[in-house]
Amino acid sequence: MAETSAQGAGGLVRAEFRGTASEYFGIWMVNILLTIVTLGIYSAWAKVRRNRYFYGNTFVAGQSFDYHAKGMQIFIGRLIVFAALIAINVATAIVPLLGFVSPIVFLIALPWLMARGLRFSARVTSYRNVRFNFTGTAWGAFKAVILGGAVAVLSLGILAPLASRWFYRYLFNNLRYGDRSFATDPRVGKIYGSALPAIILFVIGIVISLAIATLIFFVTNELPADGNADKALQNAFVAGLFGMVVPLMIIYFLCAILYRAGVRNVVMNASVLDERHRLFSDLPRFGYLFVVVSNLFLVFLTMGLMRPWAATRERRYIVRHSGITFDGDLGTVLDSMETSGVAATAEYLDLEGFDFGF
Amino acid sequence: MASDARSSAPQRIAEGVWHPPRSSEAIKAEIWVQGETVLVRRAGATAGEPALALGFLSTIEVSSRVGNVPRRISFSAGSLFETPDNAGIDRLLKQRGSNRAGAFVHGLERFHPRLIVLVVAVFLLATAIYRFALPALVEVAVLVTPDVVPQTMSAGTLKSLDATLLKPSQLPEAKRRAIEEGFAELAERADRGTGGYSLNFREGGAIGPNAFALPSGTIILTDELVDIAGDDNDMVLAVLAHEIGHVDKKHSLRQIYRAAGTAGLIMLIAGDVGSAVQDVLTNGAALLSLSYSREAESEADHYSVILMTKAGRDPLALARFFTALQEKLNVGAEETSMFDTHPGMPDRQKMIEQWAREAKASKAETK
Repeated sequence: MAETSAQGAGGLVRAEFRGTASEYFGIWMVNILLTIVTLGIYSAWAKVRRNRYFYGNTFVAGQSFDYHAKGMQIFIGRLIVFAALIAINVATAIVPLLGFVSPIVFLIALPWLMARGLRFSARVTSYRNVRFNFTGTAWGAFKAVILGGAVAVLSLGILAPLASRWFYRYLFNNLRYGDRSFATDPRVGKIYGSALPAIILFVIGIVISLAIATLIFFVTNELPADGNADKALQNAFVAGLFGMVVPLMIIYFLCAILYRAGVRNVVMNASVLDERHRLFSDLPRFGYLFVVVSNLFLVFLTMGLMRPWAATRERRYIVRHSGITFDGDLGTVLDSMETSGVAATAEYLDLEGFDFGF
Repeated sequence: MASDARSSAPQRIAEGVWHPPRSSEAIKAEIWVQGETVLVRRAGATAGEPALALGFLSTIEVSSRVGNVPRRISFSAGSLFETPDNAGIDRLLKQRGSNRAGAFVHGLERFHPRLIVLVVAVFLLATAIYRFALPALVEVAVLVTPDVVPQTMSAGTLKSLDATLLKPSQLPEAKRRAIEEGFAELAERADRGTGGYSLNFREGGAIGPNAFALPSGTIILTDELVDIAGDDNDMVLAVLAHEIGHVDKKHSLRQIYRAAGTAGLIMLIAGDVGSAVQDVLTNGAALLSLSYSREAESEADHYSVILMTKAGRDPLALARFFTALQEKLNVGAEETSMFDTHPGMPDRQKMIEQWAREAKASKAETK
C-alpha cells in the first residue's frame, strides 16, 4: 500500500510552520479593510481566514492542521454575546444595584463558559481528517480556573505553579484526538524549577522598582511646590508611587512571558497521546522573550504595519520548538464526530481575552 | 465544442492525500475530473482499479483558498481529499464556474503593489470612522433614545446613591428655600423649562462638596458645597446652572454611547492587531475620552455663564466658586493636563471671565 505512515518510524517529529509574512500581510490587510467597510460584520469571517491560515500552515509529519468554524457560526456567536452584554448593561443602568450581583453571576457562569468554549475550539480543529474534542466539565473548570486562580492570587503568586498544574491537567486530560486521549501529569517541582528565572527576575525587579520609587520620592520632595510642605510631600508620594508601579508592570509583563514559556515546556513534555506518544516542547525562555519584546517594538514603530511579520515570526518560533515523539505507529485514528455546538461561548472568551488556540 | 472535448478525456487535476470517512488513514492519491464527474484514484492505480471516491462538480465541497494552505475537497460520502496544489484546484473551480466570492477575497489578499492602496484606504477609513462616523452614530443614538431610558436610569441611580452614599440634607429651611427660588428662575430660562429639572438636597458624606446631574434632569446638590459658598447664593446657583448645562447638552448619554462605540470598534479588530496593540488602543481611547469630558465641562461652564446672565445674576459667580474651592480645600491650582477629567481651574476661570464679557455685550445689544 502507498500509505503515508510518516509517524510509523518512531522518534521525534518536530512541527513546522510554513506561513510567510508577505502572504499573511495581504490576508491581514484585507481582513482589517473589509471589517471596517462592513462596520465590523466581516470580522467573523476575518477570524476564520486568519485561523485557517495559521492552522493550515502548521505541519506535523507532512500534514497540516485545519480550522473548520464557519464565518456565519462565529457571527451568530458574537451576536449572542453582544446581545447578552447589552441586556446586562441596560439592566444594570436601570437597576444599578444589579451591578453588585452580575459579577457574581458571571463568576458562577464563567466555568461553564470556559468548558463550552474549549469544547468549541477543540471541535473545530482537525488533523488528518480527524477532529479534536474536549470533554471537560464546568465543575472541572471551576476547580482548575477559579479555585486555581484564587490560590495563585491569595498566595501572591507563590503557589502559581500549583494553579498552572491544575489548569493544564484540566486542559490536557480532557483533550481528545478522535478516539484517542491526551494525558498529562506535570510535577509541581519541575514547574517551580522552570519558573526559577521568572521568580529571580521578579525579585530583582521589585528591588529596582523600590529603589526608583525612593529616588523619585526624595528628588520630588526637594522641589518647591508653592512653598507648601504638605503639598510637596503629597506630590512626591504620588510621583514615587508612579515610579514604582510603571517599572513593576513592565517587570510583571516580562516575567509572565518567561513563566508561561517555562510551564509550557514542562507541561508538553509531561503529556502523552494515546498513553505512549509523548509531546515535546523545547521553547527557549529568553529566546522567546526576545521574540515577543522585539515584535512589540517593531509593531509600534511601524504603526502596526509589521504586525503580520511579527505574528508569523512568533508562531514560527513556537511551532519549531514543538513536536511529538511517536512510540511505534499511531495507527488509524477514528473520528468520534460530534457537532461543534454554538460559537457564543468561545466568542465570549475571545472577547474577554482568553486565547485557547490548539 | 470545448465542453465535449473535456468530457471525453479524463483530466488529472492535482496530487494529494485521500482520507476515508472519519479516519486518519492517509492514502497517496490523485484527483481527476471527467466532464461533470470528479474522482479520486490511488496514486499509481492500475487501469481496472475502482476509484477511491466519486462525486460531481456540483456536489463536492471545496474549502476556499487562504494563502497556500492545503485545500480540502469533501465528498458527500464523508471522505476527504487534501492537496497543497492550490493552482490545480483553482482551475477545477474555474471549470465549475462558482466560488467567485472566495476567489475575489483571495485575489485582493495576494501580495501585489495594489496592497499599498489597501493600506492607505485602511488608515483613511479608520480615521474617518473614528472622527466622523462614530460621532454621527452617537448623535443618532442620542436622538432616537426615548426619554424613558434616561428617566429609568436616573431614578435607579438616585435610589442606589441614597441607599449607599447620600444622607438626607441638614440645611436650614430658609437657606434651602432661597436656593430653590433661584433654581426655579434658572430652570425657567433653560431648554426644558420649569418642570424639566428637579433639585435634590442631600448630605454628601464620602463624596463631599459636590453637585451632579443625572440625564433625566435630576440634579443633586450636597450640603458641603453649599457650606463652601457661605452666604453667596449666586455661587451655588452658578454651579446648578453648570449642571443644567450638562442635562441640556445630554453629556452623560453621549459619553455612554461614545464609550460603547469605541469599545466595540476596538474589540472587532482585536484579533487582527494582537492583544498588546489592543491594550494600547483601549488606553488611548480612554485618554481621548477624557478630552471629551474636559470639553463637556467647558461647555457646561459656558452654559452657566449664559444662563446666569439671562437670569440677571452674576455670571462670574462660578469663577468665584472655584476660588473658594481652592482656598477651602487647597486643591485645583494646577494647569490642565491630558490626564484630567476636568480642565484646570485657572483655565476655567479665564474662560468664564471671557464668556461673561461676551454675554454682557450680547445682552446690551439686544436691549
